[in-house]
Amino acid sequence: MSLFGRILGQNSDPDRQQHQAQQLARNQAWDTALTNQTLPDFVKQRLADTKSGKLPWISTGSVGALLAQRSHGIHPLGMVSGNCWYHYGYSWTRGHYDGWHTAIDRMRQEATLMGANAVVDVKLSATRMEGTGDDQMDYAVLGTAVRIAGLATPRTPVIATVSALEFARLMESGILPTGLAIGAHYNWHYSSRNASGQGTWWNQELRELSDFMTDIRRAAIGQLASDAARIGTGVLARVQFSELLRGEPAENDPRQRFLGRHIAFGTAVLHEPGRHISLKLKPVFSVSDGKMTPVMPREKEII
Amino acid sequence: MADETGTQVNPALAGLPKHALERLQGLREAGQSGGIFTSDLSVNEFLMVREAGFEPLGLVVGSCIYHVGIQYGSWGQNQELNVISQAMYQARELAMTRMEQEALTLMADGVVGVRLEVKRLGWDSDILEFMAIGTAISHSAGHPGFKGPKGMPFTSDLSGQDFWMLLRAGHRPLAMVMGSCVYHVAHQGVFKAMGNVGRNVEITQFTQAMYDARELAMERMQNEAKEAGADGVVGVQLHEGSHNWQPHVIEFFAVGTAVKPIEDKALIPEPASPQIVIPVND
Repeated sequence: MSLFGRILGQNSDPDRQQHQAQQLARNQAWDTALTNQTLPDFVKQRLADTKSGKLPWISTGSVGALLAQRSHGIHPLGMVSGNCWYHYGYSWTRGHYDGWHTAIDRMRQEATLMGANAVVDVKLSATRMEGTGDDQMDYAVLGTAVRIAGLATPRTPVIATVSALEFARLMESGILPTGLAIGAHYNWHYSSRNASGQGTWWNQELRELSDFMTDIRRAAIGQLASDAARIGTGVLARVQFSELLRGEPAENDPRQRFLGRHIAFGTAVLHEPGRHISLKLKPVFSVSDGKMTPVMPREKEII
Repeated sequence: MADETGTQVNPALAGLPKHALERLQGLREAGQSGGIFTSDLSVNEFLMVREAGFEPLGLVVGSCIYHVGIQYGSWGQNQELNVISQAMYQARELAMTRMEQEALTLMADGVVGVRLEVKRLGWDSDILEFMAIGTAISHSAGHPGFKGPKGMPFTSDLSGQDFWMLLRAGHRPLAMVMGSCVYHVAHQGVFKAMGNVGRNVEITQFTQAMYDARELAMERMQNEAKEAGADGVVGVQLHEGSHNWQPHVIEFFAVGTAVKPIEDKALIPEPASPQIVIPVND
């Protein structure tokens, strides 16, 4: 049957039934896999075929990242991913913690199957869908599993948010990125006094709220440290998010209510404090200029 | 032995410490027992801070939530709104001081990459939240020559890269210094405005207001630097902004890192004279 015929043929009953049955089987396989914390057979097969070279490798890395293959023995195996649609109900911070960690565990499982030493270039993305509630979203991670020449196959690979090129540079300086660490904390604060200084006209610090937020940030950073301590000697947390909201008073409690939350994401690293291998940096000064911007940015009518 | 660790097979692995090599091969799962540092450094900053001979100790934060008092400028007069100026300054100072205190408890030599953020809280336009956040670091060899004024940790908004370059330039950071001025720009009288219709004319009243406000902010920052015992201030940024105030009210905020030459000659690294390059791909 020609391709064209095949496409048309999909509308015939037996084909539609077959397609339906295939989809059902696939759904069933995902269901079983997620329940048993494993992967469907067709995913395992594709990963195995990619690993053995039956299928071509795929990589999120740039062409530049491919340079690390010859210089540092970092070979791409294949793209690996994981996600977790999580309904977090009242605890948004807990949702982030559980959602990301579950997604990463799933990605790590794929990488382990491929015999990777590391997953590099790991990117995080959160998706909300219209029509679903505000209290849920999908946490997804995507990265490239790599083998490093000269090393044994580990039980579990390390997870790195940096590219293969950066990974190579870190290795050279004696630093190994090992995984993602998350610190998240939220709390409610009830105040019967005028904690937000409403109606006053003078300068004053709202000490009660300052202290409340300080405690929340300390707790979140403390959690970040203990989360990172599982896997490394330090954590580089570039992404921080902090918020203080005022809630409506509860039904039978007239006090003012405040919700504070803080979340920090970081790359955990393993290194030896005090021992540094010099980068032998060479400062350069570029004489290239940025694009010229128009002197008059917008056209304006002259009256 | 060499085969086991793979260092001979792959020379790129030679730099990795033993526990890292073991982790890469799955021979160990846990991190190092003992201390752990937190930070908000990027990977490159982390490399550069270490290249400069320092180790990160921990993420330090200072918070201050502040209710800004009410002050109105007279309609037709250029004037500083000193109540609001003081509020903006005091609140930032409180956030910075608390961050410094956290660094002190970590026995840090200083704090790099300080970000000083101001946010208006959604539920009340008079309440501003100030946050100072940075990474406390200490000299790897424990040299005492990098402390800030009065033996306190130094503070600096320089990145890890800039910090390395500053040391190369033979200077060390002392303190993040700032000056703030909230100013009411006078409204023009109706007759004056009418008189200007159709004429090319400088509105000196407005020029003066902007000039004066900027001058006051810079002057205050400069005085702070002098107080800290600095020789100069690098990376000064001058922000103009309004935190949802009435029209004609603006804030000039000057911030930079006060520096002075490194006293101990033995601590001054080799000078770095950059190679001049021209990229051919853009």
